Amino acid sequence: MKEKKISAILRKPAVKFLLRKVIFLFATFYVYVTIIFVLPRVIPGNPLATLLAQILQTMQVTPELVTAVQKRLMEEFGLHKPLHEQYLDFLMRIFKGDLGTSYSLFPRKVTELVFAYLPWTLGLLIPATVASWMLGNLLGAIAGYKRGGKLDNVILPISIVFSQTPYYWLAMLLLFIFGVTFRWFPLGGAYSYGMTPSLSLEFIFSYLHHYVLPFLSIVLAAIGGWAIGMRVLVIYELRTDYIDFADTLGLNEDKLLRYAFKNSILPQITGLALNLGTILGGSLITEIVFSYPGTGYLIFQAITRLDYPLIQGTFVILFSTLILANFIVDIIYAFLDPRIRTGYIGE
Amino acid sequence: MTLLKARGVKAYYEVGKRFVKAVDDVSIELEKGIVLGLAGESGCGKSTLANTLMMNIKPPLRLINGSIEINGILITKVDKEFLKKNVWGKLVALIPQSSLNALMPTMKIKDFVIDIIKQHEELDESEIVLKAEKSFEELGLPVDVLNLYPHELSGGMRQRVTIAIATLLNPRLLIADEVTSALDVSTQKQVLKMLLNLKEKGRINSIIFVSHDIAVLRQIADMIAIMYAGKIVELGSTEEIIFNPLHPYTAALVNSVVTPEPEIKKRDLAFLPGEPPDLSNPPPGCRFHPRCPYATDKCKKEEPLSLTISSNHLVSCHLYET
Amino acid sequence: MNMAKSPSIIKEIFKIKKFTISIAVVISILLFGLLGPLFYPRDPFEMKYYPERPPNPENPLGTDIAGRDILVQLLHGTRFSVYIGVVAALISLAIGVTVGSVAGVKGGLVDDALMAITNIVLAMPSILLMMLIAAYFKYRDPILVSLIIGVTSWPWVARAVRAQILSLKNREFIYYSRMACLSDLQIAFEDLLPNMAAYLFMAFVLLLSSAMISEAGLSMIGVGLTKGVSLGIILYWAQLFEAVRRGLWWWFIPPGAILVTLTASLLMLSTALDEYFNPRLRGGR
Repeated sequence: MKEKKISAILRKPAVKFLLRKVIFLFATFYVYVTIIFVLPRVIPGNPLATLLAQILQTMQVTPELVTAVQKRLMEEFGLHKPLHEQYLDFLMRIFKGDLGTSYSLFPRKVTELVFAYLPWTLGLLIPATVASWMLGNLLGAIAGYKRGGKLDNVILPISIVFSQTPYYWLAMLLLFIFGVTFRWFPLGGAYSYGMTPSLSLEFIFSYLHHYVLPFLSIVLAAIGGWAIGMRVLVIYELRTDYIDFADTLGLNEDKLLRYAFKNSILPQITGLALNLGTILGGSLITEIVFSYPGTGYLIFQAITRLDYPLIQGTFVILFSTLILANFIVDIIYAFLDPRIRTGYIGE
Repeated sequence: MTLLKARGVKAYYEVGKRFVKAVDDVSIELEKGIVLGLAGESGCGKSTLANTLMMNIKPPLRLINGSIEINGILITKVDKEFLKKNVWGKLVALIPQSSLNALMPTMKIKDFVIDIIKQHEELDESEIVLKAEKSFEELGLPVDVLNLYPHELSGGMRQRVTIAIATLLNPRLLIADEVTSALDVSTQKQVLKMLLNLKEKGRINSIIFVSHDIAVLRQIADMIAIMYAGKIVELGSTEEIIFNPLHPYTAALVNSVVTPEPEIKKRDLAFLPGEPPDLSNPPPGCRFHPRCPYATDKCKKEEPLSLTISSNHLVSCHLYET
Repeated sequence: MNMAKSPSIIKEIFKIKKFTISIAVVISILLFGLLGPLFYPRDPFEMKYYPERPPNPENPLGTDIAGRDILVQLLHGTRFSVYIGVVAALISLAIGVTVGSVAGVKGGLVDDALMAITNIVLAMPSILLMMLIAAYFKYRDPILVSLIIGVTSWPWVARAVRAQILSLKNREFIYYSRMACLSDLQIAFEDLLPNMAAYLFMAFVLLLSSAMISEAGLSMIGVGLTKGVSLGIILYWAQLFEAVRRGLWWWFIPPGAILVTLTASLLMLSTALDEYFNPRLRGGR
């Protein structure tokens, strides 16, 4: 009986759709992780050996430390073992959640470090992405509806300019204008120097005060793209046969706009999944400009110190987060698009 | 009783600096209870005319001239708001050319119906659903269709559902634009049956049925108007048009349909050479003269006027001028 | 599209305002980078000027914290950024066109396999991937940076090319070539690609624009050029030495401004080309 139920669920078009996506995402993750494994071993100049020397140069060196680091390196990279064994070890460790130990901050574990910085990134990224997506779509819909009108002639060029502005440069501009020149906002960090994160009102105010500029920066950098995309979609929708038909049956403009919007949102959801990576990349660099203590800042530091486990590990975690977010968006889409939910029958 | 009176209607498409004269001085009178077929090759303007007759005119299409009266209301002189509130859906309904895409893909049929009826009548949702179910049943459509999405229906079913929805408010005039063209023969029959059913039950009074397929028109139309290059070249009862086509173009159209009946007069035009003219630059005189085997010098210079041959037969051709 | 009609195409296209404006801007900036250093023969790395000076007659765009002239950095930087952008765009174009055409022309299993690879690479966020790869290299010269950008940015081109090929594949003139027993590759190069020339050019413009932004992004996070100066490197130094907080606006505003102007113009250029080759978009129904 249970088998029948399971196979019935498996045959549902929405489930098939999501299953395919899951398999695909796993495959992508696998390829990505393999690239991470292969790169350091393939690049000429043996980054590992040079690396060891470099790291040891910058740290307080004691003989015990040198042997400890060497031992760790050998363990983690298994350089003495044959290649395929190294690979399997590597995969096993990743799935166990062990991403290695940081060099520059030895002996702290990579996972521990990343998860200390990740919440700050997400706190900035998620609201900014959602806000820019919603506002961008709204502006785009207005511009599309009033195509050629005054609003459109304002919204469209501004969107184009903003969409072409690199995240980091916009961040610098905002910081300069509102932080340095007007002094309305602090010049960096997530909260005032000297404070420790707590739930006190004082901290919350400080957090929000520091939050505004980086948040605004990401939103403004991302909003243009959404607006432009939505505008095109709405213009297209308003000329479709079904909108025409509803129009000739007397449906008022309000309703027609709602129909157009409803249909346009779907491709924009797909677009969200596709663009998450770009927005994440942009926000990482924004963090650097604002010295915001998130993963962007972490990567920047790691790169400066050539802390490869940290660099790799951060990217793996970021990538996994991205895949997860992608998948969530796919679920939402499958839920909202009736064509996925019920499957195609027609001709 | 005249339901529709159109006089001198000119509707052109404005493309850059040129005007594509899709509907050029057309006059039609439609009585209550009549099914008028509108025939012609593709590109002759019949679809444009169908839309124009209910004032569904969107740029780049423009109404240059003419008056159209439906049930006494001069719809050429009212604003769009009035049209949407009182005319579209209630008085006239249009079934568009691409009915296969006429339904909102992301809405259940019943939700779409609810929106449309709520626009015009003060009923609540359950009442509307009941009304829709009743109507669908009457028209031979399965009631559960209402709970489905358009993509879950076959093409033929979608077509019939579109017709059912368009007629929910019992419009006096139904304009059907090539509704059978994309269907197989058996589904075509179902659709035609449905339309006649609607008419018999009094849900609609008259139909303007646009089609390039004379064979289909023969099954449903009482009168047929033949359109060529933006003009109506012949108008008559179905009998007259099919068995006594006067205009050379009509004859060619009729003859191009294979029928076993020997009574159909055969002229020498077995097939029609050439192509319909460019409507942004139509030929002078009679627009058909470049393809007409009977063309005279007069045809090349003067446009023929509409001649009344009998009470149910009009033609625009110099051949019949005495 | 008949290439023999080239002279009239050029005449026609200049009639579109968008095109003339954007190409004028693009060419000016290119000239700025290419010829600028000749007219302004200073060394971008020479730290011989008074540091942190705002624009003045001696240094039209001021100096940075190490006393280097910013204008000359900008000139050389533009040159390198464009150079990297062009090379990266060409690489992406080459890979994308090859993958897309082989997939489109061959079809079947080859198509499936290539598309699977394409989709996987597409699913990986390119900037992150670029950063990761770049981080492993100790020395990064312009060619390497171009390579890294090029090798991660091709998937959308492959998909688009494949789609175009699939639509052209079944047209008549292809049948004639098949009847003449031309090999698949010959068909691809002699029949299909010339028809897509317009599209390929637009794709190149878009690739160039995104490559330059990627280069700047890589530089800003620390994995850009290790030697030499690009617009991104200037921004990187500006960030490293707190140019924003010190209020040294002449340091970080110009490189970004040039980048934005150039990429926006390239975008406008590609839109203008699109309008020209797809007249349906030029208003009307």
